[in-house]
Amino acid sequence: MRIIFILILFFVFSACGSGNKSDDQAFIESLESGDKKTAIDEELISGILQQIPSPLEISLMLKESGNKYNSDFLNSPDNYGKYNTNYKKALNLGVYGTDLGYTNIYEKNADGIKYLSKIKSMADELNIGQYFDIQTIGRLAANSRNLDSLLMMTTKNFNTINSYLQTQGRSNLSVLLLTGGWVEAMNIVCNVASMGVDHPELRETIGEQKIVLEQIILLFSFFQDSDENMASLLKDLKELETAFKEVNITYTYKESSVEIVNGVAVVKDNSTTTITITKQDIENIKNVTGSIRTKIIS
Amino acid sequence: MKSIMAFIFVILFGISSTSLIGQCDSENYTNNCIPKLAEGFNYLKSYKIDGEGGSKTKVEYSYVFTKGTQYMINICATGENTDGIVVSLFDQNRNKVASSKINNQFVSALAYPCNATGIYYIQYTFDGSAQHCGGSALGFKK
Repeated sequence: MRIIFILILFFVFSACGSGNKSDDQAFIESLESGDKKTAIDEELISGILQQIPSPLEISLMLKESGNKYNSDFLNSPDNYGKYNTNYKKALNLGVYGTDLGYTNIYEKNADGIKYLSKIKSMADELNIGQYFDIQTIGRLAANSRNLDSLLMMTTKNFNTINSYLQTQGRSNLSVLLLTGGWVEAMNIVCNVASMGVDHPELRETIGEQKIVLEQIILLFSFFQDSDENMASLLKDLKELETAFKEVNITYTYKESSVEIVNGVAVVKDNSTTTITITKQDIENIKNVTGSIRTKIIS
Repeated sequence: MKSIMAFIFVILFGISSTSLIGQCDSENYTNNCIPKLAEGFNYLKSYKIDGEGGSKTKVEYSYVFTKGTQYMINICATGENTDGIVVSLFDQNRNKVASSKINNQFVSALAYPCNATGIYYIQYTFDGSAQHCGGSALGFKK
Protein backbone atom coordinates (compact mmCIF):
# COMPACT_ATOMS: atom_id res chain seq x y z
CA MET A 1 0.00 0.00 0.00
CA ARG A 2 2.81 2.36 0.96
CA ILE A 3 4.42 1.83 -2.44
CA ILE A 4 1.16 2.72 -4.23
CA PHE A 5 0.85 5.86 -2.08
CA ILE A 6 4.42 6.94 -2.93
CA LEU A 7 3.84 6.21 -6.61
CA ILE A 8 0.68 8.38 -6.65
CA LEU A 9 2.50 11.27 -4.95
CA PHE A 10 5.44 10.92 -7.35
CA PHE A 11 3.09 10.85 -10.36
CA VAL A 12 1.11 13.91 -9.20
CA PHE A 13 4.11 16.09 -8.39
CA SER A 14 6.17 15.03 -11.39
CA ALA A 15 3.22 15.72 -13.72
CA CYS A 16 2.67 19.21 -12.24
CA GLY A 17 6.38 19.98 -12.31
CA SER A 18 7.00 18.88 -15.86
CA GLY A 19 4.02 20.91 -17.10
CA ASN A 20 5.38 24.15 -15.71
CA LYS A 21 8.90 23.42 -16.85
CA SER A 22 7.66 22.65 -20.33
CA ASP A 23 5.73 25.92 -20.58
CA ASP A 24 8.67 27.96 -19.29
CA GLN A 25 11.06 26.21 -21.61
CA ALA A 26 8.74 26.69 -24.59
CA PHE A 27 8.46 30.38 -23.78
CA ILE A 28 12.24 30.83 -23.52
CA GLU A 29 12.74 28.85 -26.73
CA SER A 30 10.10 30.91 -28.52
CA LEU A 31 11.90 34.11 -27.49
CA GLU A 32 15.20 32.74 -28.73
CA SER A 33 13.81 31.51 -32.02
CA GLY A 34 11.74 34.59 -32.71
CA ASP A 35 8.47 32.64 -32.48
CA LYS A 36 7.05 35.36 -30.24
CA LYS A 37 7.10 37.79 -33.15
CA THR A 38 5.20 35.28 -35.29
CA ALA A 39 2.63 34.77 -32.54
CA ILE A 40 2.07 38.52 -32.25
CA ASP A 41 1.71 38.83 -36.02
CA GLU A 42 -0.85 36.00 -36.13
CA GLU A 43 -2.91 37.82 -33.52
CA LEU A 44 -2.64 41.06 -35.47
CA ILE A 45 -3.59 39.34 -38.73
CA SER A 46 -6.57 37.71 -37.05
CA GLY A 47 -7.71 41.09 -35.71
CA ILE A 48 -7.52 42.73 -39.15
CA LEU A 49 -9.25 39.77 -40.82
CA GLN A 50 -12.16 40.22 -38.42
CA GLN A 51 -12.64 43.78 -39.69
CA ILE A 52 -13.29 42.88 -43.32
CA PRO A 53 -17.01 43.31 -43.94
CA SER A 54 -19.10 40.53 -45.40
CA PRO A 55 -19.77 40.70 -49.17
CA LEU A 56 -23.39 39.98 -48.23
CA GLU A 57 -23.72 43.63 -47.18
CA ILE A 58 -23.01 44.74 -50.76
CA SER A 59 -25.32 42.12 -52.28
CA LEU A 60 -28.16 43.15 -49.97
CA MET A 61 -27.58 46.84 -50.74
CA LEU A 62 -27.83 46.06 -54.47
CA LYS A 63 -31.08 44.15 -54.03
CA GLU A 64 -32.64 46.69 -51.65
CA SER A 65 -31.84 49.53 -54.03
CA GLY A 66 -33.78 47.81 -56.79
CA ASN A 67 -31.01 46.38 -58.94
CA LYS A 68 -31.90 43.23 -60.82
CA TYR A 69 -30.11 39.93 -60.46
CA ASN A 70 -27.52 39.33 -63.16
CA SER A 71 -25.68 35.99 -63.29
CA ASP A 72 -23.30 37.43 -65.94
CA PHE A 73 -21.55 39.29 -63.13
CA LEU A 74 -20.59 36.02 -61.44
CA ASN A 75 -17.74 33.59 -61.96
CA SER A 76 -19.04 30.50 -63.72
CA PRO A 77 -19.01 27.34 -61.58
CA ASP A 78 -17.60 25.64 -64.69
CA ASN A 79 -14.29 27.43 -64.08
CA TYR A 80 -13.73 25.25 -61.03
CA GLY A 81 -11.43 22.85 -62.92
CA LYS A 82 -8.94 25.66 -63.59
CA TYR A 83 -8.00 26.07 -59.96
CA ASN A 84 -5.15 23.66 -59.34
CA THR A 85 -3.10 25.36 -56.64
CA ASN A 86 -4.02 26.15 -53.03
CA TYR A 87 -3.49 29.83 -53.86
CA LYS A 88 -6.09 29.74 -56.64
CA LYS A 89 -8.41 27.48 -54.69
CA ALA A 90 -8.45 29.76 -51.65
CA LEU A 91 -9.05 32.90 -53.75
CA ASN A 92 -11.81 31.30 -55.77
CA LEU A 93 -13.40 29.73 -52.73
CA GLY A 94 -13.89 33.34 -51.63
CA VAL A 95 -15.14 34.32 -55.10
CA TYR A 96 -17.67 31.47 -55.16
CA GLY A 97 -18.67 32.29 -51.57
CA THR A 98 -19.63 35.81 -52.65
CA ASP A 99 -21.44 34.44 -55.72
CA LEU A 100 -23.36 32.01 -53.52
CA GLY A 101 -24.32 34.86 -51.17
CA TYR A 102 -25.46 36.95 -54.14
CA THR A 103 -27.65 34.13 -55.49
CA ASN A 104 -29.01 33.53 -51.98
CA ILE A 105 -29.91 37.20 -51.44
CA TYR A 106 -31.78 37.24 -54.75
CA GLU A 107 -33.33 33.83 -53.94
CA LYS A 108 -31.95 32.30 -57.14
CA ASN A 109 -31.55 28.94 -55.51
CA ALA A 110 -31.10 26.95 -58.72
CA ASP A 111 -27.98 29.02 -59.47
CA GLY A 112 -26.84 28.84 -55.85
CA ILE A 113 -26.89 25.05 -55.80
CA LYS A 114 -24.40 25.00 -58.70
CA TYR A 115 -21.94 26.92 -56.53
CA LEU A 116 -22.53 24.75 -53.48
CA SER A 117 -20.97 21.60 -54.91
CA LYS A 118 -17.93 23.50 -56.22
CA ILE A 119 -17.44 25.23 -52.88
CA LYS A 120 -17.60 21.91 -51.09
CA SER A 121 -15.08 20.35 -53.52
CA MET A 122 -12.62 23.22 -53.16
CA ALA A 123 -13.02 23.25 -49.38
CA ASP A 124 -12.33 19.49 -49.30
CA GLU A 125 -9.20 19.99 -51.41
CA LEU A 126 -8.00 22.63 -48.92
CA ASN A 127 -8.74 20.22 -46.02
CA ILE A 128 -11.45 22.46 -44.61
CA GLY A 129 -14.43 20.66 -46.15
CA GLN A 130 -15.47 19.30 -42.77
CA TYR A 131 -16.57 22.83 -41.83
CA PHE A 132 -18.82 23.27 -44.85
CA ASP A 133 -22.14 21.58 -44.12
CA ILE A 134 -23.32 21.10 -47.71
CA GLN A 135 -26.20 18.84 -46.71
CA THR A 136 -27.85 21.39 -44.42
CA ILE A 137 -27.13 24.31 -46.76
CA GLY A 138 -28.39 22.32 -49.77
CA ARG A 139 -31.59 21.42 -47.89
CA LEU A 140 -32.17 25.07 -46.91
CA ALA A 141 -31.42 26.25 -50.46
CA ALA A 142 -34.09 23.93 -51.84
CA ASN A 143 -36.80 25.98 -50.15
CA SER A 144 -37.05 29.73 -50.66
CA ARG A 145 -38.83 30.15 -47.31
CA ASN A 146 -35.56 29.29 -45.58
CA LEU A 147 -33.67 32.37 -46.78
CA ASP A 148 -32.74 33.66 -43.29
CA SER A 149 -31.51 30.25 -42.16
CA LEU A 150 -29.67 29.75 -45.43
CA LEU A 151 -27.81 33.06 -45.12
CA MET A 152 -27.06 32.39 -41.47
CA MET A 153 -25.77 28.87 -42.09
CA THR A 154 -23.61 29.87 -45.06
CA THR A 155 -22.07 32.81 -43.18
CA LYS A 156 -21.48 30.65 -40.12
CA ASN A 157 -19.72 27.99 -42.20
CA PHE A 158 -17.40 30.54 -43.83
CA ASN A 159 -16.67 32.15 -40.44
CA THR A 160 -15.79 28.72 -39.01
CA ILE A 161 -13.50 28.00 -41.95
CA ASN A 162 -11.72 31.33 -41.43
CA SER A 163 -11.31 30.76 -37.69
CA TYR A 164 -10.03 27.24 -38.27
CA LEU A 165 -7.47 28.39 -40.85
CA GLN A 166 -6.18 31.00 -38.42
CA THR A 167 -5.86 28.53 -35.54
CA GLN A 168 -3.95 26.19 -37.85
CA GLY A 169 -1.42 28.89 -38.78
CA ARG A 170 -2.85 29.04 -42.32
CA SER A 171 -4.02 32.62 -42.12
CA ASN A 172 -2.52 33.24 -45.58
CA LEU A 173 -5.36 31.11 -46.98
CA SER A 174 -7.85 33.01 -44.85
CA VAL A 175 -6.53 36.30 -46.29
CA LEU A 176 -6.87 34.91 -49.83
CA LEU A 177 -10.39 33.63 -49.17
CA LEU A 178 -11.56 37.00 -47.87
CA THR A 179 -9.76 38.90 -50.64
CA GLY A 180 -11.30 36.73 -53.36
CA GLY A 181 -14.72 37.37 -51.84
CA TRP A 182 -14.12 41.11 -51.61
CA VAL A 183 -12.79 41.46 -55.18
CA GLU A 184 -15.85 39.57 -56.48
CA ALA A 185 -18.23 41.84 -54.55
CA MET A 186 -16.33 44.90 -55.86
CA ASN A 187 -16.60 43.56 -59.40
CA ILE A 188 -20.36 43.07 -59.05
CA VAL A 189 -21.00 46.56 -57.65
CA CYS A 190 -18.69 48.21 -60.24
CA ASN A 191 -20.50 46.37 -63.04
CA VAL A 192 -23.86 47.55 -61.74
CA ALA A 193 -22.50 51.12 -61.64
CA SER A 194 -21.16 50.85 -65.19
CA MET A 195 -24.60 49.88 -66.48
CA GLY A 196 -25.77 53.42 -66.01
CA VAL A 197 -27.19 52.90 -62.54
CA ASP A 198 -26.32 56.09 -60.72
CA HIS A 199 -27.51 56.61 -57.21
CA PRO A 200 -25.56 58.05 -54.29
CA GLU A 201 -25.57 54.86 -52.21
CA LEU A 202 -23.99 52.86 -55.00
CA ARG A 203 -21.27 55.44 -55.56
CA GLU A 204 -20.62 55.76 -51.84
CA THR A 205 -20.43 51.98 -51.45
CA ILE A 206 -17.67 51.87 -54.06
CA GLY A 207 -15.88 54.84 -52.48
CA GLU A 208 -15.93 53.50 -48.95
CA GLN A 209 -14.24 50.29 -50.08
CA LYS A 210 -11.05 52.39 -49.88
CA ILE A 211 -11.09 51.66 -46.14
CA VAL A 212 -11.40 47.91 -46.72
CA LEU A 213 -8.70 47.92 -49.40
CA GLU A 214 -6.26 49.59 -46.98
CA GLN A 215 -6.82 46.72 -44.54
CA ILE A 216 -6.42 44.07 -47.25
CA ILE A 217 -3.15 45.65 -48.42
CA LEU A 218 -1.95 45.65 -44.83
CA LEU A 219 -2.78 41.93 -44.58
CA PHE A 220 -0.89 41.13 -47.79
CA SER A 221 2.17 43.02 -46.54
CA PHE A 222 2.67 40.30 -43.91
CA PHE A 223 3.08 37.66 -46.61
CA GLN A 224 4.89 39.53 -49.40
CA ASP A 225 8.33 38.17 -48.42
CA SER A 226 7.23 34.57 -47.96
CA ASP A 227 4.74 34.07 -50.80
CA GLU A 228 5.48 35.06 -54.41
CA ASN A 229 1.85 34.81 -55.49
CA MET A 230 0.71 37.08 -52.69
CA ALA A 231 3.51 39.54 -53.44
CA SER A 232 2.32 39.68 -57.05
CA LEU A 233 -1.30 40.19 -56.05
CA LEU A 234 -0.19 42.88 -53.61
CA LYS A 235 1.26 44.83 -56.55
CA ASP A 236 -2.11 44.66 -58.29
CA LEU A 237 -3.92 45.71 -55.13
CA LYS A 238 -1.59 48.70 -54.83
CA GLU A 239 -2.57 49.66 -58.36
CA LEU A 240 -6.16 49.56 -57.22
CA GLU A 241 -5.18 51.72 -54.25
CA THR A 242 -3.88 54.28 -56.77
CA ALA A 243 -7.25 54.22 -58.52
CA PHE A 244 -8.83 55.11 -55.14
CA LYS A 245 -6.34 57.93 -54.53
CA GLU A 246 -8.72 60.76 -55.38
CA VAL A 247 -11.58 59.30 -53.34
CA ASN A 248 -12.04 61.33 -50.16
CA ILE A 249 -13.76 60.13 -47.04
CA THR A 250 -14.37 62.89 -44.51
CA TYR A 251 -15.44 61.85 -41.04
CA THR A 252 -17.16 64.23 -38.66
CA TYR A 253 -17.71 63.11 -35.09
CA LYS A 254 -20.66 64.27 -33.05
CA GLU A 255 -21.67 62.72 -29.76
CA SER A 256 -24.40 60.12 -30.14
CA SER A 257 -27.34 59.45 -27.86
CA VAL A 258 -28.81 56.15 -26.72
CA GLU A 259 -32.28 55.16 -25.54
CA ILE A 260 -33.71 51.81 -24.51
CA VAL A 261 -36.50 50.60 -26.81
CA ASN A 262 -38.07 47.20 -26.05
CA GLY A 263 -34.99 46.09 -24.12
CA VAL A 264 -32.57 47.13 -26.85
CA ALA A 265 -30.15 50.06 -26.56
CA VAL A 266 -30.87 52.00 -29.74
CA VAL A 267 -28.16 54.45 -30.77
CA LYS A 268 -28.85 57.72 -32.52
CA ASP A 269 -25.68 58.28 -34.50
CA ASN A 270 -24.92 61.94 -35.05
CA SER A 271 -21.54 61.43 -36.71
CA THR A 272 -21.30 61.54 -40.49
CA THR A 273 -19.02 60.63 -43.33
CA THR A 274 -18.92 62.42 -46.64
CA ILE A 275 -17.56 60.43 -49.55
CA THR A 276 -16.29 62.27 -52.60
CA ILE A 277 -15.97 60.10 -55.68
CA THR A 278 -16.22 61.07 -59.35
CA LYS A 279 -17.48 59.07 -62.33
CA GLN A 280 -13.89 58.93 -63.56
CA ASP A 281 -12.79 57.46 -60.21
CA ILE A 282 -15.47 54.78 -60.54
CA GLU A 283 -14.37 54.00 -64.09
CA ASN A 284 -10.73 53.65 -63.02
CA ILE A 285 -11.64 51.51 -60.01
CA LYS A 286 -13.87 49.30 -62.18
CA ASN A 287 -11.12 48.74 -64.75
CA VAL A 288 -8.43 47.81 -62.23
CA THR A 289 -10.85 45.63 -60.23
CA GLY A 290 -11.89 43.84 -63.43
CA SER A 291 -8.28 43.20 -64.36
CA ILE A 292 -7.43 41.79 -60.89
CA ARG A 293 -10.56 39.65 -60.93
CA THR A 294 -9.70 38.25 -64.37
CA LYS A 295 -6.31 37.16 -63.04
CA ILE A 296 -7.96 35.54 -60.04
CA ILE A 297 -10.63 33.56 -61.87
CA SER A 298 -8.68 32.54 -64.97
CA MET B 1 -3.87 4.47 5.11
CA LYS B 2 -7.20 3.95 3.36
CA SER B 3 -8.39 7.34 4.56
CA ILE B 4 -5.20 9.00 3.24
CA MET B 5 -5.73 7.35 -0.14
CA ALA B 6 -9.36 8.52 -0.22
CA PHE B 7 -8.23 12.04 0.69
CA ILE B 8 -5.74 12.08 -2.21
CA PHE B 9 -8.41 10.94 -4.67
CA VAL B 10 -10.83 13.59 -3.42
CA ILE B 11 -8.14 16.28 -3.87
CA LEU B 12 -7.29 15.02 -7.38
CA PHE B 13 -10.95 14.87 -8.37
CA GLY B 14 -11.48 18.35 -6.94
CA ILE B 15 -8.56 19.81 -8.91
CA SER B 16 -9.77 18.33 -12.22
CA SER B 17 -13.38 19.45 -11.60
CA THR B 18 -12.29 22.98 -10.72
CA SER B 19 -10.28 23.29 -13.92
CA LEU B 20 -13.28 22.10 -15.95
CA ILE B 21 -15.66 24.49 -14.21
CA GLY B 22 -13.18 27.33 -14.75
CA GLN B 23 -13.18 26.82 -18.51
CA CYS B 24 -15.22 29.27 -20.55
CA ASP B 25 -17.30 27.65 -23.27
CA SER B 26 -17.79 30.92 -25.15
CA GLU B 27 -18.53 29.09 -28.40
CA ASN B 28 -21.67 27.68 -26.86
CA TYR B 29 -22.80 31.21 -25.94
CA THR B 30 -22.02 32.58 -29.41
CA ASN B 31 -24.05 29.76 -30.98
CA ASN B 32 -26.97 30.61 -28.69
CA CYS B 33 -26.68 34.28 -29.54
CA ILE B 34 -27.03 33.98 -33.34
CA PRO B 35 -30.73 32.99 -33.35
CA LYS B 36 -31.42 35.72 -30.79
CA LEU B 37 -30.62 38.50 -33.27
CA ALA B 38 -33.79 40.51 -33.80
CA GLU B 39 -35.99 39.67 -36.77
CA GLY B 40 -34.81 41.13 -40.07
CA PHE B 41 -31.14 41.14 -39.07
CA ASN B 42 -28.73 39.00 -41.06
CA TYR B 43 -26.00 37.29 -39.11
CA LEU B 44 -22.45 38.55 -39.79
CA LYS B 45 -20.01 37.57 -37.05
CA SER B 46 -19.74 35.78 -33.74
CA TYR B 47 -17.55 37.06 -30.96
CA LYS B 48 -16.25 34.97 -28.09
CA ILE B 49 -16.10 36.77 -24.75
CA ASP B 50 -13.65 34.99 -22.49
CA GLY B 51 -12.46 37.09 -19.57
CA GLU B 52 -10.30 34.15 -18.44
CA GLY B 53 -11.92 34.00 -15.04
CA GLY B 54 -11.40 37.71 -14.43
CA SER B 55 -7.77 38.02 -15.44
CA LYS B 56 -8.74 39.92 -18.61
CA THR B 57 -10.59 43.19 -18.11
CA LYS B 58 -11.73 43.56 -21.71
CA VAL B 59 -12.13 41.64 -24.95
CA GLU B 60 -12.06 43.66 -28.16
CA TYR B 61 -12.86 43.12 -31.83
CA SER B 62 -13.21 45.51 -34.75
CA TYR B 63 -15.33 45.71 -37.88
CA VAL B 64 -15.88 48.12 -40.77
CA PHE B 65 -19.38 49.52 -40.32
CA THR B 66 -21.06 51.06 -43.33
CA LYS B 67 -23.18 54.19 -43.53
CA GLY B 68 -26.83 53.39 -44.26
CA THR B 69 -26.68 49.99 -42.58
CA GLN B 70 -28.24 49.11 -39.24
CA TYR B 71 -26.20 46.80 -37.04
CA MET B 72 -27.19 44.85 -33.97
CA ILE B 73 -24.81 43.42 -31.38
CA ASN B 74 -26.25 41.14 -28.71
CA ILE B 75 -24.79 39.50 -25.62
CA CYS B 76 -25.42 36.02 -24.28
CA ALA B 77 -24.22 34.75 -20.91
CA THR B 78 -25.40 32.44 -18.15
CA GLY B 79 -29.17 32.65 -17.74
CA GLU B 80 -31.29 35.34 -19.26
CA ASN B 81 -29.20 38.32 -18.18
CA THR B 82 -25.81 39.52 -19.42
CA ASP B 83 -23.91 38.55 -16.23
CA GLY B 84 -22.40 42.03 -16.06
CA ILE B 85 -20.98 41.88 -19.59
CA VAL B 86 -21.16 45.28 -21.23
CA VAL B 87 -20.62 45.96 -24.92
CA SER B 88 -19.31 49.37 -25.90
CA LEU B 89 -18.79 50.74 -29.36
CA PHE B 90 -15.94 53.10 -30.25
CA ASP B 91 -15.31 54.85 -33.55
CA GLN B 92 -12.05 54.90 -35.52
CA ASN B 93 -10.70 57.70 -33.31
CA ARG B 94 -11.69 55.85 -30.14
CA ASN B 95 -14.60 58.17 -29.40
CA LYS B 96 -17.24 56.27 -27.45
CA VAL B 97 -20.36 55.84 -29.56
CA ALA B 98 -22.54 53.76 -27.27
CA SER B 99 -22.68 51.26 -24.44
CA SER B 100 -25.13 48.58 -23.39
CA LYS B 101 -25.04 49.84 -19.78
CA ILE B 102 -27.39 52.78 -19.53
CA ASN B 103 -28.19 54.43 -16.19
CA ASN B 104 -26.91 51.35 -14.36
CA GLN B 105 -29.17 49.12 -16.42
CA PHE B 106 -27.60 46.28 -18.41
CA VAL B 107 -29.26 45.56 -21.74
CA SER B 108 -28.52 42.52 -23.85
CA ALA B 109 -28.53 44.15 -27.29
CA LEU B 110 -27.30 47.29 -28.97
CA ALA B 111 -28.82 48.56 -32.23
CA TYR B 112 -26.64 50.92 -34.23
CA PRO B 113 -27.98 52.60 -37.36
CA CYS B 114 -24.63 53.63 -38.81
CA ASN B 115 -24.32 57.09 -40.27
CA ALA B 116 -20.54 57.18 -40.69
CA THR B 117 -18.48 54.53 -42.47
CA GLY B 118 -15.27 53.46 -40.76
CA ILE B 119 -13.51 50.99 -38.53
CA TYR B 120 -15.35 50.55 -35.24
CA TYR B 121 -14.11 48.84 -32.10
CA ILE B 122 -16.50 46.48 -30.34
CA GLN B 123 -15.34 46.20 -26.75
CA TYR B 124 -16.69 43.84 -24.10
CA THR B 125 -16.02 44.62 -20.42
CA PHE B 126 -17.07 42.94 -17.19
CA ASP B 127 -19.01 44.91 -14.61
CA GLY B 128 -19.64 42.71 -11.57
CA SER B 129 -19.55 39.60 -13.72
CA ALA B 130 -19.56 36.22 -11.98
CA GLN B 131 -18.44 34.00 -14.85
CA HIS B 132 -16.51 36.48 -17.05
CA CYS B 133 -17.71 34.35 -19.94
CA GLY B 134 -20.18 34.86 -22.75
CA GLY B 135 -20.75 35.20 -26.44
CA SER B 136 -22.04 37.77 -28.84
CA ALA B 137 -23.38 37.99 -32.38
CA LEU B 138 -23.30 40.84 -34.88
CA GLY B 139 -26.07 41.20 -37.44
CA PHE B 140 -27.05 43.76 -40.05
CA LYS B 141 -29.99 44.96 -42.07
CA LYS B 142 -30.51 47.66 -44.67
